[in-house]
Amino acid sequence: MKRFIDHSELARDRRFVRQNNVLSTILADVEDNVEAVVEAIEEHAPLIENSVRGTAAEPLFERHGPGMLLVRPNEPMDPAHPAAATQLRLRLHGVFVGELQALEGAARSLWDFPDAPWEFQMNMARQCWDEARHVQTFEKLLDHVDVEPGMFPESTFLFECACSEDPAMRVAGVNRALEGLACDVFRDTIRYAEASGDETLRQAVDFVLADEITHVRFGSEWVREFTRDDPEYGQRVQDFRREVDRQFSFGGARSARKDASIPIAREDRLEAGFSPEELADLEELSARGPSSETLREALGVLRERHEARRQAG
Amino acid sequence: MSSGAPRKYPGYGSSERTQYAPYSAFDIPADLRELHGRWDVEAVAQRVRNYRYAEEWSMRILGGWVATIPELPVKTGLGKIIWDCAQSADALGERLPELRFARRPTGVALSPNPDFAKLVEAISEPEDPDLTIEKLVGIFEVLFPHLVEVYEHNIRHTDAIADAPSIELLENIVARHRRHMAWAEEVFDRLVDTAEERERREQRRRELGARLRACGGVTGDWPIEPENTVEAVRKEKST
Ligand SMILES: [Fe+2]
Ligand SMILES: [Fe+2]
Repeated sequence: MKRFIDHSELARDRRFVRQNNVLSTILADVEDNVEAVVEAIEEHAPLIENSVRGTAAEPLFERHGPGMLLVRPNEPMDPAHPAAATQLRLRLHGVFVGELQALEGAARSLWDFPDAPWEFQMNMARQCWDEARHVQTFEKLLDHVDVEPGMFPESTFLFECACSEDPAMRVAGVNRALEGLACDVFRDTIRYAEASGDETLRQAVDFVLADEITHVRFGSEWVREFTRDDPEYGQRVQDFRREVDRQFSFGGARSARKDASIPIAREDRLEAGFSPEELADLEELSARGPSSETLREALGVLRERHEARRQAG
Repeated sequence: MSSGAPRKYPGYGSSERTQYAPYSAFDIPADLRELHGRWDVEAVAQRVRNYRYAEEWSMRILGGWVATIPELPVKTGLGKIIWDCAQSADALGERLPELRFARRPTGVALSPNPDFAKLVEAISEPEDPDLTIEKLVGIFEVLFPHLVEVYEHNIRHTDAIADAPSIELLENIVARHRRHMAWAEEVFDRLVDTAEERERREQRRRELGARLRACGGVTGDWPIEPENTVEAVRKEKST
């Protein structure tokens, strides 16, 4: 068996379709400007349409056109909102495939880095069991909200970060950036579950969050250990993590901004080994990007254009 | 204290004994264990290093496969088995300094010979998503049953008193592997359906099984010949 595989090589059964990873990060590079957002989305319209055809996300595309990408990060999840059920289903499915890739990433680290310190291998092996339980937990939660695995397209961005051939980069990108993001998402999902009175969802996600804090801590500790004697290398690893964090802030959708749909889980992250300076930096770099006001307007423009195209075609 | 009163603690003279009844160390409960096992300290350490090699590489190989196996429950089932193998390897490593093998967290694993290492490599070979059967047979139907057999032989034939920590540790690992094999049996029941799939499973088992016998297994001295059992050795000594 070779060492290091590409994210395109992840094995899935026939229920699953992929979403081009470009779509996950479109908003990360867009100015806070309606025109710019509309243009960025329109540019990827064929990709977006292609990725949702034949999946449960197709009705969303029918309604909004390529602007459907803006429906989710547009506003905080609110149980009273008519789109809440769809938002929750999309989120839980996204988490489910993320957990799957976290399992695959941790497991590959055992094969890809056979000479890493034994304690590192023990941490990764333990993470395999945790992520496997997370996949099982979220498969049950999908059932709980009437979703089938593979109903929505899968973006493989998490595993793409796990493809780094450098163990420090890998744990910085996966364990610190993406599992840190998972902490933010889970904290917000717990808030949603409390607001909607869904005790099953709240308790299950609370347990998963406890594990994720442990995984982020693995990342924090191993990055420190791997880069201990080389500050320049340490800085490169930190920069890599910051870039992943910037991209996966989805243009401020995950940030400390008031209009963010996923706030930063400050307390959880401190427990997981993020320093107050790193958190201040994360707040700063994640806040860049279009405001919810801009996104709402852009969504309107995109929907109008979509309808016009429908009528013309 | 008067000399006639029952004593709680022995004194210096022969008349100054306590009143407590004597029992042999073997009485409660009856201890039928015998001293002397098949291996001395160095040989046990060597075997523990061999076992660690098998457990470490099982963990890594299964880790490599999770991403390339399309069956969801197999992926998640392997997650726990990977952690079990890691714990087994770790516990074996912890035993080594107790056997006068210097404490070094890595580099303690030892293949008994180059051919066993090549066999482990052959087990790890299948990569494609359509080779789940070949992947699982190598670990769950060739390597783990072999390890269980060797560990159980080790449990029976090592010094039952002096090497009891090794015994306890191996008993835990055997229990884990038995669970793994039972799990895999259920997976095979679902995944192996057609005559062609049965043949793939059988052929893989045959091929790897032959190589395992040829290289002498995880310790290099397997299969265990009857004249090498501890009973035979004791008998030989007494005659
Ligand atoms: Fe997870
Ligand atoms: Fe995790």
